[in-house]
Amino acid sequence: MIYDWKKIVRFSMPLLTICIIIEIFAGNILQNSEDQLLLFPIFLISIPVINGVGGNIGSVLGARLASGLHVGNINLDIKDKKMHENLITSLFIGFITYLILAIIIYLISTFSSLIVINPMKFITIILCTGVLLVFAVSIFSILTAFWSFKKGLDPDDMVAPVVTTVGDTLGILFLFMFIGVVGI
Amino acid sequence: MLVKEMIKQSLPLLIFCGIGGIIAGSTLTLMINLFNTIPGLIIVIPAIIAMRGNISTAFGSRLGSAYHLGIINAENLWNEELKQNIIGSIILSFLVSIIIGILAYVTTLVFFNIRPNPFIIISIVILAGLLSAFILIFLTIIIIYLVFRRGYDPDNITGPALATFGDIVTMFCIFISALLIGGGIF
Repeated sequence: MIYDWKKIVRFSMPLLTICIIIEIFAGNILQNSEDQLLLFPIFLISIPVINGVGGNIGSVLGARLASGLHVGNINLDIKDKKMHENLITSLFIGFITYLILAIIIYLISTFSSLIVINPMKFITIILCTGVLLVFAVSIFSILTAFWSFKKGLDPDDMVAPVVTTVGDTLGILFLFMFIGVVGI
Repeated sequence: MLVKEMIKQSLPLLIFCGIGGIIAGSTLTLMINLFNTIPGLIIVIPAIIAMRGNISTAFGSRLGSAYHLGIINAENLWNEELKQNIIGSIILSFLVSIIIGILAYVTTLVFFNIRPNPFIIISIVILAGLLSAFILIFLTIIIIYLVFRRGYDPDNITGPALATFGDIVTMFCIFISALLIGGGIF
């Protein structure tokens, strides 16, 4: 038998506990802005979307970099051209995805008569949050991929947990930052 | 060209995952009254979702490896290896849920000066954690079984499927747990 529940628990606990501590911090940011969220539920709908898409784009970038590093067509160099190309593509994809989803969320909210908020302001807030999040998550993805590859660890195991956890917290942080900047 | 190729291959999946996020987010709006009556509830949400995602994708990818190693297959699915994996995932969910509950209680106390009932918060997290664990383990086994029968590689299917359904199932489990324990039904 190769699997043993005690081993599964023992090996998973450390990384999971770290992830949970960071996520509780994200939860605290939500609690801090709870009044605003309950007043404008459109942002409540947006949070899982912002985080899900950001985490996905970051993980895809990480997986592509990991494959590139394994195969050897991406080098361990911050100035690598192929890496830059991947980063810019991720930002572009992020922009399009968040634009489409922001419009869908706005339409759904209007139909369920959830809100009174300026559509241009809402779309601007989601786009700014999304693009900044994709940028931040991509940087974390690149650093984690490079770092783990250098340490002889498999980037495929490292990138996804790091990127989703960091992405969740930054996504919520950036959202409230841009709600503050743009205003509602 | 990279941009064209990536838009064609990943945009549909990203939009699909975004729609999943909208369903999960709409469940959150159903909980507005619960957020008002149970202080500290909103704090645990990102942590429960992240715990669920981590534990179930790891479960799915271990079953994928077990398949490649020849330990499990469509005819021999319900064996000791699978049982150990299920027990491991459930115990992990239970332990991590307790940690989430305690951390949420302590941080509400320290940072927000509100006094949530620790038993309510901790039992909501444990119930939501275990409920979503059982549902997602069951779902994973069904997905794995169907994938085996068709002869596909489970590694390509379980990850995205669990990521999309996981958030929605977990959000519903949090909603139901909060309603049962803190919603004044009992």
